[in-house]
Amino acid sequence: METFLDLWAAYGSTVTFAMVNALFALSTYAVLSTGVLSFTTVVFAAVGGFLAAQLSGKFGLPLWAAFPAAALGGGFAAAVVAFAFLRLESHWMALASLALVLITRVTALNAPALTGGVNGLIVPVRVEPLELAILLALCTVVFWRLHRSWFGLASRAVREDAAVASTMGISPYRIQFIAFLISGVVGGLGGAALAFTLQFISPETYFIGIAFTMIASTVLGGSFHWLGPIIGAAVFTALPTTMQAIVPQIEDVAKGVVLLLIMIFLPRGLIDPRAWGLKKAAKLREETEAKRAAERDAHA
Amino acid sequence: MQLFVEQLINGWALGSLYALFGIGFGLVFSTLGILNAAHGTYASWAAIAGYYAVERFGVPFPVAIAAGVIGGGLLAVVVDQIGFQPLRAKKTGMLGALITSIAFWIILDSLAGFATGQQSLAFPAASYPNQMVVMGPLRVPQMQIITIVALLVCTIGIHLLIQKTRIGAAMRAVGWNEVAAALGGVNARMVILLTAFLAGATSGLAGVLGGISTSNVSFTLGEGLMLKGFAAVVVGGYDDVRGTAIAGICLGIIEVFVAQYISTSFRDGFTYMLLLAFLIARPRGLFGSASFVRA
Amino acid sequence: MRDAGSLLVLDQVVKTFGGVAAVGGLTAHVRQGSVHGLIGPNGAGKTTVINLITGLFHPSAGSIRFNGAKLEAMAPQDIAATGISRTYQNVRLFSGMTALEQVMTGCYLRRGVSLWSSFLGLPAASSAWRSTREQALHLLDRVAMAHRADELAETLSYGEQRRIEIARALGSDPKLLLLDEPTAGMNHSEAEAVGRLVHELRDAGLTILMVEHNMSLVTAFCDSCTVMNFGRLLAEGDPKTCIADPAVQEAYFGRKNDADRIQALR
Ligand SMILES: Nc1ncnc2c1ncn2[C@@H]1O[C@H](COP(=O)(O)OP(=O)(O)OP(=O)(O)O)[C@@H](O)[C@H]1O
Ligand SMILES: [Mg+2]
Repeated sequence: METFLDLWAAYGSTVTFAMVNALFALSTYAVLSTGVLSFTTVVFAAVGGFLAAQLSGKFGLPLWAAFPAAALGGGFAAAVVAFAFLRLESHWMALASLALVLITRVTALNAPALTGGVNGLIVPVRVEPLELAILLALCTVVFWRLHRSWFGLASRAVREDAAVASTMGISPYRIQFIAFLISGVVGGLGGAALAFTLQFISPETYFIGIAFTMIASTVLGGSFHWLGPIIGAAVFTALPTTMQAIVPQIEDVAKGVVLLLIMIFLPRGLIDPRAWGLKKAAKLREETEAKRAAERDAHA
Repeated sequence: MQLFVEQLINGWALGSLYALFGIGFGLVFSTLGILNAAHGTYASWAAIAGYYAVERFGVPFPVAIAAGVIGGGLLAVVVDQIGFQPLRAKKTGMLGALITSIAFWIILDSLAGFATGQQSLAFPAASYPNQMVVMGPLRVPQMQIITIVALLVCTIGIHLLIQKTRIGAAMRAVGWNEVAAALGGVNARMVILLTAFLAGATSGLAGVLGGISTSNVSFTLGEGLMLKGFAAVVVGGYDDVRGTAIAGICLGIIEVFVAQYISTSFRDGFTYMLLLAFLIARPRGLFGSASFVRA
Repeated sequence: MRDAGSLLVLDQVVKTFGGVAAVGGLTAHVRQGSVHGLIGPNGAGKTTVINLITGLFHPSAGSIRFNGAKLEAMAPQDIAATGISRTYQNVRLFSGMTALEQVMTGCYLRRGVSLWSSFLGLPAASSAWRSTREQALHLLDRVAMAHRADELAETLSYGEQRRIEIARALGSDPKLLLLDEPTAGMNHSEAEAVGRLVHELRDAGLTILMVEHNMSLVTAFCDSCTVMNFGRLLAEGDPKTCIADPAVQEAYFGRKNDADRIQALR
């Protein structure tokens, strides 16, 4: 118990942030797993974060009510974004979504009544790590169910080849629209979780930093399975802490180098079901060959 | 009236920096399919290279510019070959290169911080043309004229290169074609290296010129250019350098005028509102071509 | 009227790419319950016709009618829902999916439950999932691939992948099946097996439009055919008659005179 408390004192905040980042990564994964690279999770997070902060700050809403409100806000923002962006070609979509992140910050800066503007907002409520863990677990269950349902199968098809999927009766637009809604809800929850963790937010909180953290986490962990973003977020969040412990002078450089190496050597991420399948196939081939060789020997 | 024209030129010069920076970003995006988060660091490092060339070796102005341009170009080639080339054969699409570019962004920004001692440096005033050119009632800084001309030359040069030469045709052909890029034939290889170098060199030019005229040589230089250069690319349409150039100039002029006549605090907001308007009303930018459907 | 017994009617269909007509006013009829060949030399526009029927391209002019529906302005997923399914000339299976998952995906249209209840895992959805899985396994069995159901499709041989693609196309229980060179890259016995399958499917009531380059397979498999060249109709009707047509012979093998002239030059 003693050692656990010591460990928690040292790494507790890392674990907390890993869980928040896991929510952002899952939100990114939601759209990425249908073939859409979008940075708009940051926008959904900002909507969820400021909404939750204001509701709990101004109206004294408790946590359990603020989170669903943030989810709704994120989901609504996602519906608007999906409506405007889904007709764009994929490369264009990536650029447009990044632009929207920039716009969101400026908008937030110029709407002090809603966001506190440059001064930011103090958030009076705090989320406990255990509550955060429950929230993440709930989201994970959703992604697990999605993965094993018709939606999961259809989204894999749309991601791999949208044209072929459409000739099988799957509407890529519909699948991607739903994916955006999920991304919005989870992103909104993540934004609120961040607000209740930091207890102070400003327009700078929801900016490029989160965008790159969540994309890096998702791709690092693997964007072909829901476990990927969660593992990726843990690794990516722990990386700075670890690097600070090992090479305190150049921790940022070391973090970049590690990211670079993982990407070059494991481009499909740490969790890659396809790699397992390929390994299985190779093993199967070896076995049949061995069997054949044995038969040949027996004949000779 | 005099103030109006001077501010116009002021904005034009500022916008030329954004455009110069954006051209390379758009070129890499349309030709190599890479959303390069590290593009801003080329500008920072070019400015740092130019600064140290002046500071340590006392080189004249054109040499300092050349140091920045060539430095930026070479840096871009190195980043491409280490960070992007290994992924080309692995078909990771836009994603893999985005992540490695983020990695390089983190690395190069943090190293740039060390290189400038975590502060912002300024070129010594005697090291660059710092006179005013008097044209009738107007007084225009020499650096602004140099910047405006630099953008003109680069835009025309790169546009002709892409539209009129064989290597340009190859560049258009490689655009996003992973198979062609992965095969790595002489042509594809040349296209990749040339595109990377051009992008780094133009970004570097923007970096040195911007570092001189804003007296800010540090990693924040590249980040500032990145935000505005990116806007220029989106508004102009990423697959045409002319669009980027015009959009960049317009953004610069608008920025200066909004600050002058409306309010400084609205400056960035206005730029991004314009960006939003373009995203919704004309998502392909000024000159953007229609997309094609793969079947 | 010939349209009467026709399941699919192409009427003066035009498709241009940047001013060049890949299909230039093609009219064709595919009779209900027949195996119809679509043949022509390389670049004749056969694949483009299939892309037009399935909605991946929209015609520049002309109309395509299927079973009373006008397909020319419909989206691919809506066309699929009317009962059209296809395979691709260059196999386009989904990367990272097992053979069974590929066919399951093909069964999307007859999953019988909403996405929502499937997500919730309601008992009805679970049993529907199981029965779809059974159907998919059965389809794999029809193309003799059931023993490979749990393997990644991309690890299988080219011929096996083609068979999985056919099973996937059958997943939606279509009325019209479009096969784009289903026997390409197969050896003779594999191709024969595909021919037998095609006949079985026809006898079960399915209509099939297939692109095929091998003339002996065309005469063996097809009940009727359409020959095209440079996007236009060259001949139509009985396969044997079509292939014997001098115009068709010329399109495929060049002008007889040319051959003579080349001979003379030697
Ligand atoms: N997406 C496209 N864009 C431009 N041109 C195209 C496109 N698709 C096909 N074409 C052109 O249309 C013509 C017909 O092509 P199509 O693929 O339909 O021929 P095909 O009869 O299937 O040939 P093959 O026997 O080689 O498969 C070709 O000249 C081709 O270059
Ligand atoms: Mg074809």
